[in-house]
Amino acid sequence: MELALIFAAVFAATLVCLLVKNRTAIEYASVAAAILAFAASVVIAIKVSASGTYVPTGLFSIDALGAIIALIIGIVSLAVSFYSVSYLRRETEKGIVGLGRVRQFFILLNLFIGAMFLAVASSNPILTWISIEATTLSTAFLISFYDKPSSMEAAWKYLIINSIGLLLGFFGTILYFTPLGTGAAAGLTTWNVLLRSAALLDPTVAKIAFVFVLIGYGTKVGLAPMHTWLPDAHSKAPVPVSALLSGVLLNVALIAVLRFRAVTDLAVGPEFSRGLLIAFGILSVFVAVFMILGQKNYKRLLAYSSIENMGLMSLGFGFGGIGAFGAILHMIYHSLVKSALFLAAGTIFLRYSSTKIEKVKGALTALPVTGVLFLIGFFAITGTPPFGIFLTKIMILSAGVKAHPLIVVLILALTAVLFVGFFGHVVAMMFGEKTRAADEVATPGGERGGAWLIAPPLALLAVALALSFYIPPFLERLVAVVASNY
Amino acid sequence: MIMNAAPQQLILAIFFLSVVFLHIAKKNSGAAVLYGIQSAAIVLLLLFSFFETGDPGALLIAFLALLVKVILAPVFIFRLTKMHRLKFVVSAYLNTPLTLLIVAGLTAAAHSQVFGPLANIVPANQPLLALSLAALFISLFLIVNRKGALSQIIGVLSLENSIVAFAIFAGLEQSPGLQFGVMFDIFAWLVIATVFISMMYRHFGSLDVTELKHLKD
Repeated sequence: MELALIFAAVFAATLVCLLVKNRTAIEYASVAAAILAFAASVVIAIKVSASGTYVPTGLFSIDALGAIIALIIGIVSLAVSFYSVSYLRRETEKGIVGLGRVRQFFILLNLFIGAMFLAVASSNPILTWISIEATTLSTAFLISFYDKPSSMEAAWKYLIINSIGLLLGFFGTILYFTPLGTGAAAGLTTWNVLLRSAALLDPTVAKIAFVFVLIGYGTKVGLAPMHTWLPDAHSKAPVPVSALLSGVLLNVALIAVLRFRAVTDLAVGPEFSRGLLIAFGILSVFVAVFMILGQKNYKRLLAYSSIENMGLMSLGFGFGGIGAFGAILHMIYHSLVKSALFLAAGTIFLRYSSTKIEKVKGALTALPVTGVLFLIGFFAITGTPPFGIFLTKIMILSAGVKAHPLIVVLILALTAVLFVGFFGHVVAMMFGEKTRAADEVATPGGERGGAWLIAPPLALLAVALALSFYIPPFLERLVAVVASNY
Repeated sequence: MIMNAAPQQLILAIFFLSVVFLHIAKKNSGAAVLYGIQSAAIVLLLLFSFFETGDPGALLIAFLALLVKVILAPVFIFRLTKMHRLKFVVSAYLNTPLTLLIVAGLTAAAHSQVFGPLANIVPANQPLLALSLAALFISLFLIVNRKGALSQIIGVLSLENSIVAFAIFAGLEQSPGLQFGVMFDIFAWLVIATVFISMMYRHFGSLDVTELKHLKD
């Protein structure tokens, strides 16, 4: 019922956007769909917490991991939908987009959200693959939304690199079907069937399959060295889309990696996947830290920060135990904070009309509320107390300190370097004299008239802060179940 | 599914050769024809699969593959080349002799012990699975080695065909419903990719991906 409500709401909103040429109706339909999807995802999460799984039909099944990610999709989509309305209205006032573009935006946004829900809810690995591929197809035009050479280039890279990655992931996926025997795959094979047949999987085939899956879906997760599309796509897409790409989509792809990892571990033991996840995790953190240091563009800065955080999650799941518990909590905090940061960055962009760090000065004066939100977001994402990421980093690193002390020391040093580098960029943007652009390029009404530009990132940060002190029992149960399984 | 009969071997050989010749093709029209040939080979393999199982769903998938891969995809590519006067393939990073050397190396790798377990999923089809795997690697190399966006599209489509060939010989074909979903995805991907090609040409006046230099920061 709840899942049907999500799909019906998203489908109806898409239909309204397709058929109606009234901007207000398009906006109301999209926001209403997001509200319904959020409410339904909360109900699903509570149900999964109580009963273990949510199985509306044979095609769909949501476990604890799926419920957490569905919840993340629900909350971030809600914030993004509200924000998009105000953001695109401002862009229309500035003459950047017209009604046609706005319709295109909301159609693709709704399809994107629907595809992500489908990916986490599908009980079949091939259907998961189809859904994740559908996220690529729906977002490609969102990345090229502004129809500029740079956004075109970013979208092309995104399309080609992710398509190759997903095809390799598809190849790995079908290899997991080998123990089911000739013709057995013709039925609807669920994730549970794969888990049950894992013991029959040839160990070498399992290892090769996991390598293909990790490289394939890992491309979509943004793990280095397959990350090259991510900073371009996340920096060139409209800000609300960047928030969803960074805050949500990366986790949706990670769900596939984790599910195949569970099958692989049953076939060959946990050491193989652990080693790979740790290796990709270290490389991702390493690459991200050094790219952040010399960064000139604040949207790319946030994108590289996502690579770093996905690397940390990979490390947490690789270390296992308390590390996995930390990684799943880290996923929740990162989604909320990173989406908030991107939305705040969007308001900064509206004011300064540039994503270059050197062109943004005195943001705290020009945009007092958004500036503070961006600053808080920075402290939250880099793991400064009292934000939850501080604790999750400690959990992840403490899980590895016994078996991999050198790696832990290296990651600690890298995150310290990242903090200093990131802080330098944020200080440069927030303080100092307002640039001429901030005065000359008028944002009609500024922050005073733009409550819906402030409320979504504020709400996301407030939820992240609240969850840093208190995790509702239903969510705590879900996190504990995921940590014990992965 | 044991497919060591001569017709299937011949079809796979044609498929493999079409992938190799994609590396040598100098004209876009030639590349489109080669892709059409390899897709026709896949359709024939799907038809053999139907004759073995008698599943009408398999026949439907073969028909859809014929429509999407053998007819629509080459037509799209021909139209693009005509619309933008893209007669010749944009060059490759490596010259032809070096490219062929790497193609030979990749074929050898697919037949090596490292990938032996994959080729032995169905021991009776071992040479066919190894050749399908080689086609997969060579398609991947095509995407990496070519500078033209159109060649990259053909490379991605060829990679997908190689996976389908492998799945057929390994007996890993999915249910017709799921195959329909995958086919729909491929079709949507094809449409989107061709739209992107036109948009790229409008922005850059070329399909040479080395011209994409707007994201240096």
